[in-house]
Amino acid sequence: MAAPRSSYPGAIPAGRRDAPPSLWDPVVRITHWGIAVSVLSNALLNRGGSVTHVTLGWIVMALLVLRLLWGLVGPDEARFSAFPPNPLAALAHLRELVTGRVRDYPSHNPAGALMAYAFWATLLVVTATGLVMTGGATPMQVANDKAAVASGDWSALIREGGEEDESELSDAAKEVHEVAANLLLILAALHVAGVFVESRAMRRNLVAPMVLGERKK
Amino acid sequence: MSAEPGLRSAGRRQAVALSIFLLVQTLGTVFFVGDVIGDLRAEPTSFHFIFEALVTSALVLGILFGAFALRRTIELLRAQEQALDVARGALAEVIDRQFEAWALTPAERDVGLLALKGLDVAEIAGLRGAAQGTVRAQLTRIYAKAGVSGRAQFAAFFVEDLLGAGVPKTAAEAAQ
Repeated sequence: MAAPRSSYPGAIPAGRRDAPPSLWDPVVRITHWGIAVSVLSNALLNRGGSVTHVTLGWIVMALLVLRLLWGLVGPDEARFSAFPPNPLAALAHLRELVTGRVRDYPSHNPAGALMAYAFWATLLVVTATGLVMTGGATPMQVANDKAAVASGDWSALIREGGEEDESELSDAAKEVHEVAANLLLILAALHVAGVFVESRAMRRNLVAPMVLGERKK
Repeated sequence: MSAEPGLRSAGRRQAVALSIFLLVQTLGTVFFVGDVIGDLRAEPTSFHFIFEALVTSALVLGILFGAFALRRTIELLRAQEQALDVARGALAEVIDRQFEAWALTPAERDVGLLALKGLDVAEIAGLRGAAQGTVRAQLTRIYAKAGVSGRAQFAAFFVEDLLGAGVPKTAAEAAQ
């Protein structure tokens, strides 16, 4: 079991399989692309506070819950135990990347693993602050309130306003929400760049396993 | 060759369908949990809240069981694929060793393998860009080297190997 060069699980000496999966399981793929599309459209396409924005936020929350649950009960390579956060191993991996000698890991490589945890932490912050901003209202309640305001019943607005300290909390949440959302976009750009660099270094298409796997002749 | 990719993609389709179902279930549950938490803050002792909380915990349990079942399905699928690969690799090895024992030439090996896969003389000739007469002569030489009467016996040679190894052992096990 003891790997001579690294204690990172699945570094080849200890691992049964010597390469990342040729096709990630459906839960990993669906949550990956679902979160990617929802985050991008919430950041770039729709207006904050709109029913669409809140609905997509709740969908991201559900996708995140499912992925984190899958990290506990999913198949080996989807589980947290296959890619624990380990900054030292990540640095070692990046050093290997610079020198051009890269190893295979049965799941995410240590640097990719850190990226996944950074994404999840930031997503948790964004959804949590979003919930504070809306007072935990579900999309259905948001839609009802908007319809009430539109029809001239402004009492919904008063309910939203709340007390003095609650609006202060809401302001702070808004600040954090925006910063974290921008951080998400930066992480996404880094993630895409990382996949590109790793694919070049490993001479392997790392995108295909996240889509439909290698097309066979 | 033709049945196996179908089997594999059918298994994958099933896993994808189960995953989508699990996702829809999670979506519903998260919305429901949000609603219940709202109720908890508004009227924590009402019958309405207690009932909804019960339904929500059932939904959460459903997701947990669904996730476990999906994991089992995915692992089963992978085990089957692996077993199939091992079996196919083992059979290929057996055929290879037997061809060597019969001292087939490289060309005869190719033709023999294609014949085992069920291609007829015209198809083999087309694939190898050779005349049908050449292929027929090669097949005849293969049958002679293998000591079999023709194509049926040639194919049966390997199938019988598989069956012959299985039958007596299971019979012996049954006797014990």
